Amino acid sequence: MAREFQRGHKAKISDLTAGTDLYVGVQISAPGLTFDISCFGLDAEERLSDDRYFVFFNQPKTPEESVQLLGAQSGDTESFRVTLDRIPANIHKLSFTATIDGAGQMSQIGPGHLRIVAGGEEVARYAFTGSEFSTERAVMLGDFYLKDVWRFAAVGQGFDGGLDALLRNFGGEVAEEEPAVQQQAAAPGFAPPPQAATPPAFGAPAAPAPAFGAPQAPAPAFGAPQAPTPPPAPAQPVHATPTMVAPVAPAPVPPPAPAPAPYGQQPPQQPQYGPVPGQYPGQGQPPQAPYGQAPAPYGQAAPAPYGQQPPYGQQPGVPQGVPQGVPATGAGLAAALAPYKETATGARWTPQNQQLMRVDLAMGGTPVLARQGSMVMYQGKVDFSHKGAGFTGRIVGNATGQEMQLMRCTGRGQLFLAEEGAHLHPIELQGDGICVSAESVLAFDESLQYEVRRIEGHGIPGGALFTMQFQGTGTIVVKTHGVPVVLPVTPTTFADCNAVVAWSSASQVILSSQVRLRRNAYPGHSGETVNLQFRGAPGNFIVVQPYEV
Amino acid sequence: MNQQLAGYAPTPVAARMENHGRTMLKVAMASGQDLYARTGSMVSYEGYITYEPNPPAARQVAQQWATGEGAPIMKCSGDGLLYLADYGADVVVINLQNDSISVNGTNLLAFDAHLQWGVERVKGLAKFAGQGLFNVEIAGTGWVALTSRGTPIVVDCGRGDDETYVDPDALVAWSPALKVKGKRSFKASSLIGRGSGEAFQMAFSGQGIVVVQPSEDSTDRLRIRG
Repeated sequence: MAREFQRGHKAKISDLTAGTDLYVGVQISAPGLTFDISCFGLDAEERLSDDRYFVFFNQPKTPEESVQLLGAQSGDTESFRVTLDRIPANIHKLSFTATIDGAGQMSQIGPGHLRIVAGGEEVARYAFTGSEFSTERAVMLGDFYLKDVWRFAAVGQGFDGGLDALLRNFGGEVAEEEPAVQQQAAAPGFAPPPQAATPPAFGAPAAPAPAFGAPQAPAPAFGAPQAPTPPPAPAQPVHATPTMVAPVAPAPVPPPAPAPAPYGQQPPQQPQYGPVPGQYPGQGQPPQAPYGQAPAPYGQAAPAPYGQQPPYGQQPGVPQGVPQGVPATGAGLAAALAPYKETATGARWTPQNQQLMRVDLAMGGTPVLARQGSMVMYQGKVDFSHKGAGFTGRIVGNATGQEMQLMRCTGRGQLFLAEEGAHLHPIELQGDGICVSAESVLAFDESLQYEVRRIEGHGIPGGALFTMQFQGTGTIVVKTHGVPVVLPVTPTTFADCNAVVAWSSASQVILSSQVRLRRNAYPGHSGETVNLQFRGAPGNFIVVQPYEV
Repeated sequence: MNQQLAGYAPTPVAARMENHGRTMLKVAMASGQDLYARTGSMVSYEGYITYEPNPPAARQVAQQWATGEGAPIMKCSGDGLLYLADYGADVVVINLQNDSISVNGTNLLAFDAHLQWGVERVKGLAKFAGQGLFNVEIAGTGWVALTSRGTPIVVDCGRGDDETYVDPDALVAWSPALKVKGKRSFKASSLIGRGSGEAFQMAFSGQGIVVVQPSEDSTDRLRIRG
């Protein structure tokens, strides 16, 4: 799943995902505060030399649409779509920032995050809380920066001065600082009074998640009809308008749109379902109370509980009764499936997502040995044949349990391999070796040599442990149940022999048994008696999966 | 306590069908807009929703699917929010705009009742597993939700002259415009216990897409339990 980032962590985007079409979601919120989340496209000197690359609510996309503002969705206060390969060459850095609109300081914020989603999957998450900040009013959350390749850095650096300080930091000119600041000041101004507690133009962002459990937020926020806030769903069109066309956006109820309002915009209310169970079916609440207003949301008007409330489609059969908004990705079959498109790179082994591997057999020319039955699809001419282990191989395999049922895949074409939704990890060997348990091998280049290795030790059922050692030049695909952890080998690295998947073969494995007197005298001993200890020079690693076979 | 769980609260309703997380489907129901869903896939609902298993309308259409006990489909109607899931499988929401898609019976989770649909048995393909391969062809303008064990992948057919071959157990959906046929890759050696494990594939040719899941687990969990 998502890789967790701490402040200061950096990684190549290509290590996180093969895709270049990324969704960046920022969740930041604090009771009573509103945030402006923006993205600065900076040049090589870290200057905002072109103000068209300052993406914020008033400028929702860059000219060539490589960075687009999508609005609040899926629990994120604000979200962006970043298409890395369309970013022009003069932009070297995208900095994602959050600024408090109005008074307040960053120490007030609740748990938030910046996350990167690619191909429908969250690949990176940088979580932060208010305790990491103090009086700052602006914070740079994370950067995409170009250093040979695009990389991601979790920054988490605050600025006392707010948006203007941030702009000055990026070399923004006063000319563009003015309108930006003005608009922010203006936004709350024209908001109608009942809305004061809700964020000005962006409406939806800050409200949902944070207020959920926080008792301070609810009361003012949804005591008033919430309908005025524009629905968050069709992100672009809504956000294109808000602050520029002041009277239109936040003022009246947009006629066709109110449907989304009742349910989602007030998730803070949900906890109240519990405390008032008695009111549920039909206790007299004034029937005119709109769905979301009273603490007993279902309570009023038993005879026609839903029908008479505007939110829930009064006229049966009219398709508008339910929000018919299109998903963020767009309408239609092709758009819905776009996140799952095949990613083609020039490489021989290409992970398509965490669970699928594509091999281009035409590239490199060597056949691939894969676990039998792991093919899910192929294009082109691919031939599958049984790969026997040979006579000695069978004997050894039977005796050690390190047996692989393999098939040889030859031909010219693209082969897609997967098994039981296990996570797949291609490991490229360049003359070095790796030890993998046989059941964790999915596929490998035939150019690799492999043999069964024995680890001796007392206390193992069966007397010894066996693994497969792979050596040579080529790629091996290892599968793990769940997201594995890769640990560097230190003087004190231990692993459960059932959970360890692979280790670099240069590290030495010792068995460590926890010897405890009268171990069995306790019915509930820890169950962790035999561990493998790893020793080796720095640079060695072990891979452990969250699943004990 | 709620603080930690707050992140899982439902997001604002923006569309008829949405993902809640990767593996749950959220459907905004309104009367007059019925939904067909796999029997047993409901995990929770909010509001007033009724379920009718094996509805007469579906029985007609899904005659072929019915292997004696009726089609594994229920009709959901009412007002509120409906949450569906299939044992932790990933959910893919598709908004059809006058498109059509053919979905493997076990990978279909829900679809709008007003869509045109029909059940077909894929010709020439009797799966050895026994139940045969059924697919549901859905066309029109509306919402469909599929399940996939693991993140699926979508491949364009018709990129070259070559056909695309798919393991029937991993197949999720495809464009009905594609030509389908079965392909046996038996060899004489397979008969003496030396198979490659890949004896049988479906070959697709033409212009369109194929959706494949990264798992050969095509067990119909909803049905087994039901």
